[in-house]
Amino acid sequence: MKLAAIRPITLALSRELVLTALLLLGVSLVVFVILYLAPGDPFSVLLEGQTLSHEARAGIREALGVPKTWYAQYLSWLGGLLRGNFGTSMRTGLPVFGEIVRVGLSTLYLTLGSMLVTLLIAVPIALHSSVRGATALNWPLTMLAYLVSALPVFWLGYVAIYVSIHQFGVFPLISRVSASPEPAWLYSLLPICVLGIGNGTIGEVVRYLREEMSRVMAEDYIRTARAKGASVWRHAFKEGFLIPMTEIIAAKIPFILGGAVIVEQVFNWPGMGRMAWQAAQDRDFPVIMGIAMIAATWVRVGSLVQRVVYVVVNPRASRERRGVGRAE
Amino acid sequence: MKHYAQISGEIGESSDRPFWKDADTWDLAYIGYGLLIVTLVLVSYVLGAFKWLPYAPEQIRVDLLNAPPGSAGHLLGTDFLGRDILSRLIVGIQAYFLPGLIAIVISLVLGTTLGAAAGYRGGNIEVLVTYFNNLVDSFPRLVLILLVIAAFKPDIYYIMVVVGLTGVPVGASLVAGKIRFLREKNFIEAAHVLGLPTHVIILKHILWHHCAPVLVIQATIGMGEVILIETSLSYLGFGVQEPTPSWGNMVQAGANYFFQGKFWPSTAPALAILFTILGFHLLGDGLNSILEGKGKK
Repeated sequence: MKLAAIRPITLALSRELVLTALLLLGVSLVVFVILYLAPGDPFSVLLEGQTLSHEARAGIREALGVPKTWYAQYLSWLGGLLRGNFGTSMRTGLPVFGEIVRVGLSTLYLTLGSMLVTLLIAVPIALHSSVRGATALNWPLTMLAYLVSALPVFWLGYVAIYVSIHQFGVFPLISRVSASPEPAWLYSLLPICVLGIGNGTIGEVVRYLREEMSRVMAEDYIRTARAKGASVWRHAFKEGFLIPMTEIIAAKIPFILGGAVIVEQVFNWPGMGRMAWQAAQDRDFPVIMGIAMIAATWVRVGSLVQRVVYVVVNPRASRERRGVGRAE
Repeated sequence: MKHYAQISGEIGESSDRPFWKDADTWDLAYIGYGLLIVTLVLVSYVLGAFKWLPYAPEQIRVDLLNAPPGSAGHLLGTDFLGRDILSRLIVGIQAYFLPGLIAIVISLVLGTTLGAAAGYRGGNIEVLVTYFNNLVDSFPRLVLILLVIAAFKPDIYYIMVVVGLTGVPVGASLVAGKIRFLREKNFIEAAHVLGLPTHVIILKHILWHHCAPVLVIQATIGMGEVILIETSLSYLGFGVQEPTPSWGNMVQAGANYFFQGKFWPSTAPALAILFTILGFHLLGDGLNSILEGKGKK
């Protein structure tokens, strides 16, 4: 009996895992192919300025162990990735993986913090308007959500920096690593808030949560719960709150990561976004490849977690074939 | 809701009243504002293309730096080199107008094709299209764009091709969903029985009659996104280069003066970005709730 209840879930979860692995394989192929097609491969960037004959180049190539065919190059790169060897940066000469881990943590901190800010703003608004229905507050809140989602985040960053420096004398405009008497986390609040407000997702989060919540609130089983005096919130929680929350968070990870590129630039934040920007300017292929892989992995892990929550919360999902359409 | 009445075959439902008589006032206001913005953008594009500007956008005036809006002769003031902001804003539209249209055409054409194939055929094609959608959605847009910039060069047309490709999943899933819904309807079955070829059914009966509104809405919202991407990129220094103006590099160029308290040179382009994107979003949402009957209750 118990086995029968567990197995479909395990099956569904392993299917999700396989799917994630397949997608990451595809991602690596896309990343590789884009840079493979680039004029002047990473190899010739390395030799820039040194005039070498074709034979000499081929000789160096062989000496360095660079495979000739594209698929051999791809496989050796992929093999390196799997072993945690992302190559070395052409600019600094340091191993890429260590560098990404170092800056990735501060980006993780920035993005998770800003996601929290977004949710802290969006969830109360969504709950308010779905539970209370249309109130006088509805219109200004909708307008605010529209305005915020159209606001260029870099300008918002300028405003925040100006106001905090000149009006309050806090949050000096320096990166958070530099030594100073005040606690470092204080400086990081400003970029986190700016990204949380300015990443353009608040409006969508509000709208999605409100729609899902209102839909669930109109269901028969909620009416039944209400009639027999049970807690409405407890009945509505899974379908009306938990699932939409994980769905919208997973769907918005790429947007927040993209926004982080800009916010890190505005605030001089030593993160992955700034590193990607620098790498794009220097044509530092191993770095930008590594960052693209890590960013895509975050996105995929986010949606894997979402699918796991969905399958666990809703066992019916493991029995039906996975909905093929894009999860809305 | 003439639209749904047609799909489900309820004939009595459709009325002869034009759709805007039943529409929500707010939706009409949204659409009005959006159309105003679209008109402004089009007019500015033409003005910029023919160089019908109050001043030459790159003309420097050392005696009139950072002039506030409303100064003599300069309606929106001047920037840190004394260049007329209004002229620069108008010319700035050149940076994203054509590239943006290209991006949208790519994402709609490819998205519709993939969506139609997935929704109509189903099966393996649908699995493949879903895989493609998920693959594209795995990349944060800006990271993918930076990857392409590193590989090729910071050319706006390359970038817009990438932006167009990243817009494909949304279009594809919208069209696929719509077709999956329509496929079972009587009128499609009737078309089959009449022996109409598949491409006629897909192109005319499904796409033309039932997906056109969705695609127009998607194009509108897409334009807002494209502008945001273009401005972000030129802010990051990868788009149009100084002294040629684009809204993003104008914000960036005004940054130092912003922190000294001279807000206007940065704020004017930022507001232009804000109001333009807002216009496209509102237009899209207004059209959505009128044509598709979705949105607010």
